[in-house]
Amino acid sequence: MPTLRDIQRDVARSLLMPGDGAALAHIADDVIDTAERFDIYRNNVAITLIGALRLAYPAVDKLVGSDFFDGAARAFVARYPPRSACLDDYGDEFPDFLAAFPAAAALAYLADVARLEWTVNMALHAPDTPALRPDALTDLAAGEHGRVRFVPHPSVRLLPVRHPADAIWRAVLDGDAAALGSIAMTIEPSWLIVQRQASGIVVARLDEDEATWSNLLFSGAALGEIMPDEESARFVALLADHLAGGRFAGFDVVSGDGV
Amino acid sequence: MQGAIPALPGIGLRFPHHRAVIAQRPRVAWFEVHSENYVGGGAAIRDLETIRRDYPVSLHGVGLSLGGADGLDAAHLGRIVRLAERIEPGLVSEHLSWSISEGHYLGDLLPLPLTEEALDVVCNNVDHFQEAMRCRILLENPSNYLQYRYSTVPESEFLSTVAQRTGCGILCDVNNIFVNAANHGWDAQAYLDALPPDDVKELHLAGHAVKSLSNGAVILIDDHGSQVDAAVWNLLGKAVQRFGPLPTLIEWDTNIPPLQALLEQANRAAVILAQPHRALAHADIA
Repeated sequence: MPTLRDIQRDVARSLLMPGDGAALAHIADDVIDTAERFDIYRNNVAITLIGALRLAYPAVDKLVGSDFFDGAARAFVARYPPRSACLDDYGDEFPDFLAAFPAAAALAYLADVARLEWTVNMALHAPDTPALRPDALTDLAAGEHGRVRFVPHPSVRLLPVRHPADAIWRAVLDGDAAALGSIAMTIEPSWLIVQRQASGIVVARLDEDEATWSNLLFSGAALGEIMPDEESARFVALLADHLAGGRFAGFDVVSGDGV
Repeated sequence: MQGAIPALPGIGLRFPHHRAVIAQRPRVAWFEVHSENYVGGGAAIRDLETIRRDYPVSLHGVGLSLGGADGLDAAHLGRIVRLAERIEPGLVSEHLSWSISEGHYLGDLLPLPLTEEALDVVCNNVDHFQEAMRCRILLENPSNYLQYRYSTVPESEFLSTVAQRTGCGILCDVNNIFVNAANHGWDAQAYLDALPPDDVKELHLAGHAVKSLSNGAVILIDDHGSQVDAAVWNLLGKAVQRFGPLPTLIEWDTNIPPLQALLEQANRAAVILAQPHRALAHADIA
């Protein structure tokens, strides 16, 4: 008799891999065909996992249509089954998979829209960490400001895109065909900042300087290392905006020798 | 709000009903949620914390894979422990099934071969789960569409043995017994009679679908997509006769109707829970 581990491995593979029938040898015979019994589970697994992807990628679903989405998702599930029982976390490889999916090659912007949707999904389910109070720095001594390092709020993410993914995403989810039709589908590298606020998900654009500074701020560089010699007023305005927007969860002050 | 789950009907709380429950605070004794839907941050858990202030809540897991040969996923177990710290549930339950193999989660409650080896695996995993949760958990009988060649232990005996060895309780899903009895030719009453009454701590009810197969045979699918079937209400009466009134859940997961439809099903369950039953008769004599 095979071990439980062997049986579960065979069943898992037959559930995920089209055409794999190893599981059927383990099923007891009776009046109902074993393949037909097993197909009930294949169908349940497909419905659940494709459904989880559709929840995370609603704009991709609308852009390609549900039949195309089902086909792409089915191929994705076979290649990248979930690694966690928390299906809110399932599908992080889907944008790259779509980028390499031959049938979607005509939709150059699709992978960028998918990357934005994944970023939104991560923000939606990020931990409920309290935001740093905007006035948290007021008690610092004058010499300490340059040594401040921030911890980003877990619901905040920066995303580089090449296509106008934010405009497409918004128009598709709003069902606004006129807005969608008026988007200039130009290729222009830009940065989006995505955040969950009390009111919902906010997606905004950053210019190149703002993106560079924000990347440094969110990766824990000290203020003194980031503060530009020129454009310092714009930097301070950006920092104030991040503080007011609750985009940090905390900060520390590096010791004097650290910087 | 005290957290104990009373021996009354409760409702499976699903996302489409969050707003209605918060706004209307319906007359229902308790709610049960799928733990995996609330392990992240954001709106879902915020709503559940709001609802928890007014109602006891039961945490019902669908992803721990208690029948998994590889043991429990420590990261997932940690998420469930933290959720329980946040919600302070009145009951914690999971399924007699598996859903993870070689690190891949399959998104369904899959059937176990009912063997001595599987019994050891499930008992070890239940021990691990109870140690981490620091409470008694309930193990639910599954609905299945196939059986393995190797099964030697009747499912009711398997469940009873796990309860006996680990000290866990049993969540008796009346619809699942009905579905399995139909699909495998079991005797539903004999199944109920084989469960140890003192260990059964909760009942589940849901609708099922009837699927026709190519050779004309039919199979019942536990899709939680309709009202509770008349025959399952009848079986609930027999379960209450044997186990006494217990926390009894109405589950509805596909084609989810307005909240009112679930409240009506809960009211119907309340009538059956209130009927005279053997366990009370014994208590009266004592």
